[in-house]
Amino acid sequence: MRNIWIIARRDLRAQFNSPVAYVVIGGTMFLVGVLFFLIPHVGNAFMGSFWELDRATMDQLFLYLPPLMCLFVVPAVTMRTIAAEKGSGTLELLITMPVRDSDVILGKFIASLSVVLILLAATLLYPIAMFVWPWNLGPLDWPTVWAGYLGCVLFSAAAVAVGMMLSSLTESDVIAFFMTSATLSILYAIGWMAAIIPGAMGDAVEFLSFQTRYQSFARGLIDTRAVLYFLSVATVCILVSFRSLESRKWS
Amino acid sequence: MSNDVMIYANDLSKTFGTFRALDKINFEVKRGEIVGFLGPNGAGKSTTMRILTCFISPTSGTVRVNGHDVFDAPLQVRECLGYLPQRAPLYLEMSVLEYLRFAAELRNLDADTFRKRAKSVVEVCGLAQVLGREIRQLSHGYRQRVGLAQALIHDPPILILDEPTSDLDPNEKAEFLDYLKQIGQERTVMLSTHNLAEVEASCARAIIVSRGRIVADGPLDDIRAKSGRVRYVVSVQEASGTAGYKGRGEPPKKAEVQSAFGSVSGVKKIDELPTDERAHAFELVSDRDVDLRPDVFRMAADKGWVLLELHRDAQTLEDVFRSLTIGDERRNRQLGAAADGHDEDHGDDDDEADDVPRGGSRDRHEKTASDRS
Repeated sequence: MRNIWIIARRDLRAQFNSPVAYVVIGGTMFLVGVLFFLIPHVGNAFMGSFWELDRATMDQLFLYLPPLMCLFVVPAVTMRTIAAEKGSGTLELLITMPVRDSDVILGKFIASLSVVLILLAATLLYPIAMFVWPWNLGPLDWPTVWAGYLGCVLFSAAAVAVGMMLSSLTESDVIAFFMTSATLSILYAIGWMAAIIPGAMGDAVEFLSFQTRYQSFARGLIDTRAVLYFLSVATVCILVSFRSLESRKWS
Repeated sequence: MSNDVMIYANDLSKTFGTFRALDKINFEVKRGEIVGFLGPNGAGKSTTMRILTCFISPTSGTVRVNGHDVFDAPLQVRECLGYLPQRAPLYLEMSVLEYLRFAAELRNLDADTFRKRAKSVVEVCGLAQVLGREIRQLSHGYRQRVGLAQALIHDPPILILDEPTSDLDPNEKAEFLDYLKQIGQERTVMLSTHNLAEVEASCARAIIVSRGRIVADGPLDDIRAKSGRVRYVVSVQEASGTAGYKGRGEPPKKAEVQSAFGSVSGVKKIDELPTDERAHAFELVSDRDVDLRPDVFRMAADKGWVLLELHRDAQTLEDVFRSLTIGDERRNRQLGAAADGHDEDHGDDDDEADDVPRGGSRDRHEKTASDRS
């Protein structure tokens, strides 16, 4: 247990010692800002940007944040977790310390998730700035916002676990980045296809899609099936990472 | 198994796919021993060390470190080990002090012990100047020192060092080997290297591996004796030169000298060595237990020749190493991919027996295997 925290702390510090974490957080904050205030709502063409919408809502944030996380936040944060350590050989020194393989995996998972959570916390500045202080544009429905954030947290946990799993399968962080980006984007984007595909196939796609699972949270609904779904994905991916790390012993 | 056996490997094998990296090797290392683990590249040194540190698992065989089995108690095994992998892979973005603290935390040292240990380790490894620097900025020699410091931070009873001196300059090497002797008194140290001078400087015992097998294991003197032959170098004055010919009669011809020395009893082989026109030089080879020098001198004196040089070459570890492992290198080169050769291990061994002296331990191992069956 103690080792998990030591490893997580080291990894987190490593993230903030390199420019990656700052670029990711800063870049995402900027993009979210642009998308939020200036770009019209893509889902509903008749809805405008935040200002044209003329409602006290954070819908826009929850619409744009997950795709951004899939495309580059999570891949950038998780790409180095295991792949870079394998590539540079530092994994050998880490693992030959008296630590369990599971300590290493969980520590790295916690560190990566923390970076994403720090980003999520930073995006809270938007609703606070607009609806609490210094501006007060109207009464915001805070419970909906919290539900949306809960969705984001669960979504991140699953996405980070997927990224870490893919990172554990390769020795190159570049490959890890693109595999994670592609996998998460597909898992997210198939939600849009679900409506077009008929029958059981459509149901299956809907079941798998991160987007359909996430949408209920964005609308302020905490769906236990979605909670379970995200937690299961995270658990399975962590277990696969663990196995993949262990497989070095036998290959 | 006595308590003093710190590392025990029995019938240890490891295969990577069809490549047999280790083939049933057996060895023991006792407390207080410094063992040099030698072999050409790809012989299985690093694989063995990775198995000892529980980074990878053996395909078959038993390995116990300080009495703990690598399968059943990997954490206990790692606790009593200090390990420096090849080329010291460290986290580049950490400072030296941060790194040592991180290692100490994972080793469960409390802050007080860490401070005490860090002080002595930093002094020993000469890191005081660079404590605050990022490891990224350090030269390879310094990184190697940090790697060593990290392995020593918890004062482990067993040290496993994989090519610890590869990036050090000659001064640092000498310093490191001295230090190794010092700490090796109460510790068990196993270091791999292909630099034989280092082994001669710091180890009392060597294990030579080649293509996944132990070809020699024992005290350095025994290993040196392995090849069972001694070389002599003799040179006889050939022409006057500036000093004038000081012998009786005419200076001898080459063939004359060669046949005369060849006839000395005990000489197994005589070869001419390259020299200038003033001397004839020959290399004589004899068995180990006879000393040719008196006979050679007598022969030269009786003929009235001028003996310019006569000395006995102690067989160096290098010679033994080369003779024990060279067959493999030759074959690897012939076959190109090393992996191809390894499936044919058993079939090829007979061809090799003529030019490659067998190690005692392999013979011993074969004996034990037949005893068991």
